[in-house]
Amino acid sequence: MKHSGLRAYIIKRLIYTVLIAFGVVTVTFILLRVGPSSPADKYLANMSTRSQDPAQVTAAIEARYGLDKPILQQYGEYLNNLVHGDWGWSFSTSMPVIKLIQRHWIYSFQLIFLAMLLSAVIGILIGLYSALKQNTHADYLATFFSLIGISIPHFWLGIMLILVFSVELGWFKSYYDTSLAIFSLANLKALVLPVLALGTGMVAGYSRYTRASTLDNLHKEFVRTARAKGLPERTVIGKHVFRNAILPVVTIIMFDLSGVVFGGAYLTEIIFGIPGLGRISFNAIFASDYPVVVTITLIGAIVTLLTNLATDIVYTWLDPRIHYD
Amino acid sequence: MQKLADKLGGLRNLIAIAVGLALVLMAVLQIVTPLRLLSPLGFFYVIFTVIVLGYGVYPLYTNRRLTRYYWDRTKKHRLAIIGLVFIILLFLVAIFGPFLTQDPTRADFNEKNQPPVGFSIQQSLYDTVTNNFVTKAVPGTWKHPLGTDDKGRDMLAMLVSGARVSLQVGLMATLLAILIGTLIGVVAAYRGGWVDNLLMRVTDVMMTFPFFLLLVFIVFIFGPSLSFVILAIGLTGWTGVARLVRSDTLSLRTREFITASRSLGVSDTRIVLRHLVPNVASSIIVIATLSIPGVILAEAGLSFIGLGDPTVTSWGVVLNAGQRSLTDAWWIAVEPGLVLFITVLAFNFLGDGLRDTFDPRSQS
Repeated sequence: MKHSGLRAYIIKRLIYTVLIAFGVVTVTFILLRVGPSSPADKYLANMSTRSQDPAQVTAAIEARYGLDKPILQQYGEYLNNLVHGDWGWSFSTSMPVIKLIQRHWIYSFQLIFLAMLLSAVIGILIGLYSALKQNTHADYLATFFSLIGISIPHFWLGIMLILVFSVELGWFKSYYDTSLAIFSLANLKALVLPVLALGTGMVAGYSRYTRASTLDNLHKEFVRTARAKGLPERTVIGKHVFRNAILPVVTIIMFDLSGVVFGGAYLTEIIFGIPGLGRISFNAIFASDYPVVVTITLIGAIVTLLTNLATDIVYTWLDPRIHYD
Repeated sequence: MQKLADKLGGLRNLIAIAVGLALVLMAVLQIVTPLRLLSPLGFFYVIFTVIVLGYGVYPLYTNRRLTRYYWDRTKKHRLAIIGLVFIILLFLVAIFGPFLTQDPTRADFNEKNQPPVGFSIQQSLYDTVTNNFVTKAVPGTWKHPLGTDDKGRDMLAMLVSGARVSLQVGLMATLLAILIGTLIGVVAAYRGGWVDNLLMRVTDVMMTFPFFLLLVFIVFIFGPSLSFVILAIGLTGWTGVARLVRSDTLSLRTREFITASRSLGVSDTRIVLRHLVPNVASSIIVIATLSIPGVILAEAGLSFIGLGDPTVTSWGVVLNAGQRSLTDAWWIAVEPGLVLFITVLAFNFLGDGLRDTFDPRSQS
């Protein structure tokens, strides 16, 4: 009975995910078509040096990209192409968008992965410590620094780190060296400042959530019962408090991937010159290379959607109290 | 007239709706005719003034006892008061500052990269007498108390101008997001059924986009102008508010006073405007205060990467100039970021304080 409920729940979540993905794609299509400049204009802006007649070029581009067809047909083709991995042609880099993404996603991934992993571990530890030492000097210090940490603009922090550690002290390069192999110590060193810039706000946020969540659970009845049973304090905290406190924090970390991390990584990549998705989107904006900008926006949304789905499904397994109906 | 006002939950709402309709009419008029009555920013100013006076100042003024109670509670948070004082000061600077400082766009290459008062840097300067480059110490002067940037523009003037931009965007975009979010949240919760389902799925779709990426995408397509950036942030940032208002309204909907109003034959519009919205107002104020920093940061981020309004000097633009000349002039990057940081901190302090004031449960 329970098992079939779980399966139905997962199927429902899958259908929902597909629906939302459909909505996301539709929103980008509408925005593209509502915008004041058609894709043809954007192509044209790139060809301004050519001597051809602009009207002729526009017509040719519109025919080439199907912009002269009825809007519903365009929409159908847009959906069809996306599903089949045909994400358009990036004319500023002269390659298919999908190839561009394949070449660059790893740079974003390494940054996001390291920043999330480190800030989750450090943030949770600080939050836990802060909660257990509630109202001590250590707690006040941690709380104060986390308030500063969530307020500091990460792109400014990045620039300040460059100023101090690259310009003044000369410990790190101020610009990411793209010739480094991804899995090398030198690359890890090059990522120290970017991860610090991106991760500081996240550490602060996670330590706040963990502290609040731990305090919530610390005075619950089951904790008192565990203590009354004479369990060692380590077991009470580790097994009873921490396990319950960590669930909402994990959700927040997963949901964070959308706003904080993608937005954050975007600017961090630009500041440090890391050739990830944010940086190529940034370059594409100034080249009016709209297929790249669209695709990266869509990738951000789809990755968010899939993480949310994964979080929900993992949750049903982590927390047996959840009902699936 | 009185009857209509009653139906809408009071004269205040009637005035607000009338002003809203008038603005829509004017906007349509401006689009179809060459007539220009109000600048795009002007629209936001009018909406902002009506909302703040009608729904902020007026109720606080008429309800002295409650105002006193809230003030006493907020006062206990020292950080919230510090934040509030800073925000008020920033407001004054943003309103009156630009009249007192130099022109932030005036470039003078003879005065480029001058350090702030009290600092001195070595600079290679061209000597017109000997026709040679000489390296000499350039001290900061009171003419440019915070120094100048790489084009010789006055840093103080640019920061003051940036304060105005940040507050404009922060307040108006948040207000717009709040209006849309409240409308969607209340309607979804109050109507329920397929309306609720549809509105919440739309909210889910909007929430799926990473906020900053969507913003970059929209500004890329529609072009950067200050009023458009405000519009874009407002039109994308409402999802959190909608969810909050919906869940608050859902729990209110079944309460006795709503049932009582309905059994008395009170119209839906009046119930929503008179009973539901005022009761979720405290949550709205808190989420508004706490989302202003995010909006200010988003605008700074946009203008930092060059997607801001090219005609205004915002903190992000200055910060961008600062990164370009990091090796020659550290202050250009340090100063705008520092004021941005303190502004965000001030709003977070105030928001935390207000949350404790309005929601006694969150106090531990």
